[in-house]
Amino acid sequence: MGMMRLAVLNFKNSFKNYLSLIISLAFTCVVFLNFQNILYSSAFDVLGTRNREYINMLVWMTSFVLGCFMVFFIWYSTNVFLVRRKREIGIYIFMGLSNQKIGQMYWIETVLIGLSALGIGLVAGMAASGLFQMILFVVSDLKLEIRFCSDIRSILVTVAVYLVIYMIFAWKGYGNIVRSSVLEMILAAKQNEYVRQNRFLLIGKAILGVVILGCGYGLALKEGRTNVMGNAFGAVVLVTVGVYLLFGGLIPFLFWTLASNKLFLYRGTRTLWINNVIFRMKKNYRTYAVVCVLMLCSVTALAMGFAMKERYDNMIRFENTYTFQLISSRSDLDKPARDLIEGESPIVFSSTLPVLSLDGSFVKAGGNYSKYEFVSYSYLRQLARDTGMELLFEEPKEDEVFLVSHLHLLSLITQQTNEIIVNGKLYRQTGEASVPYLGYLQESMNFYVMNDHEYEKLVPLGEELYTYNYRIQDLERFARIRDNLDVLVEETKENHTGRVAIDPQSNEIDWIKMLYSICIFMFLVFIFASGSIMFMKLYNDAFEERERCKVLRKMGIPQELLRRSVAAELLTAYGTAFVVMAVSSLFSVGALGKMMYTNLLSVNVVSVLVVLGILAVWYGLSLWTYERNGEIE
Amino acid sequence: MKDNKVAEVKNLVKSYGAKGFLTKVLKGVDLEIQKKDFIAVMGPSGSGKTTLLNILSTIDKPTQGVVMVDGRDVSKMPNRELSKLRRDKIGFIFQDYNLLDTMSLQDNIALPLAMSGVSGKECIQKTGELARMFGLEEHLSKYPYQLSGGQKQRGAACRALITEPEIIFADEPTGALDSKSSRELLECLRKVNEHGQAAILMVTHDPFSASYARDVYMLRDGRIICRISRGSDRKEFYDRIIDVQTSMGGDFSWE
Repeated sequence: MGMMRLAVLNFKNSFKNYLSLIISLAFTCVVFLNFQNILYSSAFDVLGTRNREYINMLVWMTSFVLGCFMVFFIWYSTNVFLVRRKREIGIYIFMGLSNQKIGQMYWIETVLIGLSALGIGLVAGMAASGLFQMILFVVSDLKLEIRFCSDIRSILVTVAVYLVIYMIFAWKGYGNIVRSSVLEMILAAKQNEYVRQNRFLLIGKAILGVVILGCGYGLALKEGRTNVMGNAFGAVVLVTVGVYLLFGGLIPFLFWTLASNKLFLYRGTRTLWINNVIFRMKKNYRTYAVVCVLMLCSVTALAMGFAMKERYDNMIRFENTYTFQLISSRSDLDKPARDLIEGESPIVFSSTLPVLSLDGSFVKAGGNYSKYEFVSYSYLRQLARDTGMELLFEEPKEDEVFLVSHLHLLSLITQQTNEIIVNGKLYRQTGEASVPYLGYLQESMNFYVMNDHEYEKLVPLGEELYTYNYRIQDLERFARIRDNLDVLVEETKENHTGRVAIDPQSNEIDWIKMLYSICIFMFLVFIFASGSIMFMKLYNDAFEERERCKVLRKMGIPQELLRRSVAAELLTAYGTAFVVMAVSSLFSVGALGKMMYTNLLSVNVVSVLVVLGILAVWYGLSLWTYERNGEIE
Repeated sequence: MKDNKVAEVKNLVKSYGAKGFLTKVLKGVDLEIQKKDFIAVMGPSGSGKTTLLNILSTIDKPTQGVVMVDGRDVSKMPNRELSKLRRDKIGFIFQDYNLLDTMSLQDNIALPLAMSGVSGKECIQKTGELARMFGLEEHLSKYPYQLSGGQKQRGAACRALITEPEIIFADEPTGALDSKSSRELLECLRKVNEHGQAAILMVTHDPFSASYARDVYMLRDGRIICRISRGSDRKEFYDRIIDVQTSMGGDFSWE
């Protein structure tokens, strides 16, 4: 029988065994293909060029993350396959096959598995493209036409990315088998027997893990300006390594310590499940670490989704504070503008605010901007009275300023400075608020509020611009008023007058809706991946339990106790990953909060609870299959 | 003498297979085990030794007949009670030790006691006592893969004894041991039996192992065909077992 036929026969016979691997790989293809579809779909064109560009950028970034995810999943699946195959390889060795021949057989089987997964993934992906778009549009609250067929380019990109990654790992596996010694391959089946671990090595790993994880957490929350991305990347690497060492060091060490306290151990089912946890942890700690990191990704994605949704709603409210705004160097435009507007619609509220614009050369602050804006406290107090907005701070003292800024979607500058030098004088920044005193204009213009006296002193140095802000009642008259104001602007002799009209129907920032639905989608991908990896691992582990359970049953250990022991063991597997994830999420979501200039603790808690709910389902499912596969029920 | 009866089977029949294709493995076995008994059951492959042990130890159910353990008919007991009976009254020693590879020898020995809710202090104390008795004190913290076959089997015997069962069922306990380890284990079992700690029913194909028992039952084709009782000399008992085996003829093909 030739290698090809033997491999095909093996593949056919073990297809059912590898179905979970194939489905997982196919799932990554489905997700990747559907994101590529967005890139090449014309459904988003109606949102306008700006939105389209932002969405494309988001999809590219997401594709990159999904690509990394695909690398991991393929690595994981081919590795599981390789380990299982290695255990059977001993038989082929005694049949007189060389390593190269066995490697060839492995390679053909791996490629067959990969191609089946790709085929299933493409077909399922194309079939699900409509559904995927529908869900995405519904979650994003976008009213777009759904395109059902996949673009050939998205298929080609998916096939190319998948095959390149897959082939690298298939060849890697081939190389691994060719280089393996006969003894190593035969011993692969007996690895279960070695439980004892070097205590000092465990302690070393535990200390190193805690230190590295601590550094990762610290880096995540470190404030920065240009180095924020570097810090974030460093934090991801350190947290990943730290989690890995935690599961390889600290957690097994804790269980070892528990197990060596016999008074604690010999109580109920503890003897059984704590020893089993130690045994499994030695074999599975990499998997647990990976699951934990994926869960951390999922909770961060979900928190980001929630935060984006909230921020989008707030930004819409922020931008729509006023319907029309004028900015001019003239101080007498309120009356003509008001007359024009009131001729068409009543005004709900209005305000005027002089803003002093100073050249960047006079100011030394955290950023490096060409212009800085300042507002007098009295004027702002008047604006707050006129519009009914809250004034959150007292009048600054002579050496104090208060920063009024806009809502940040995500900022890569997280470092806050609390000092500013204006015209050689140092001012202490007492606080920051994002109240929309200047509505849409504030989106592109933060301003410092200062003492009236200090403000007056600075006026000769810069140019005072007057803002006129109106919120109208009758939005039906929006277009007409806008046109009338345009005429006013054109007819104003001074050339420094501009008009802003905030169309309530505008879809200018609709792309943010896509961002949060993509976040939700990434969350689903990650939580599915982490749950399925854990599930697959436990699914396989359960078969090893059969013999043990048989012995225990013979010894008269009641079914109930066995089930309780298994439940505790599985709970530990899911629980440790969950706890490490929940603690780490305080830092990852905290870092996100810093970039959004807000506190996301409540979002964090809600996201963690959602993950907990989903994990509970995975746990129940794992327990159910574990009992069946282990013949415990 | 009724009080001394630990287990008993009457007219035990066990068949396997579907209707019309039934294979009778046990064809009406009667056996009584008293408190101080040390019984060896011998017989050729397929004679029904292990089936008899499995039924007596409540792991398997009889097709017909009565099985009494601890004065109760086990064939009518629900599974939960059977588990309790096995845990409290019966100890097992298997040919392949069946120590759990996930835990140390000490934890393996203490397991049945800990699982039945006995305090940790008592578990530790009893584990220590048994380990001393079986010469395993030095090895308590080791894992099964770090122990020799003999040590593993003595560990298994400790585990079987820790709940102070009334009877121990041993299925080919020396099957995987060398002669020195076999002797050590059998000496230990004899000591346990002589101290009145438990009755022992051992299935074996090895006349040397069987010679440590007080009585040997020969099983053939699902029936007990003879019983040999030991006198004062084990060597003489061993010779008699061999003689019976020889006299039983060619069809007594041993495993």
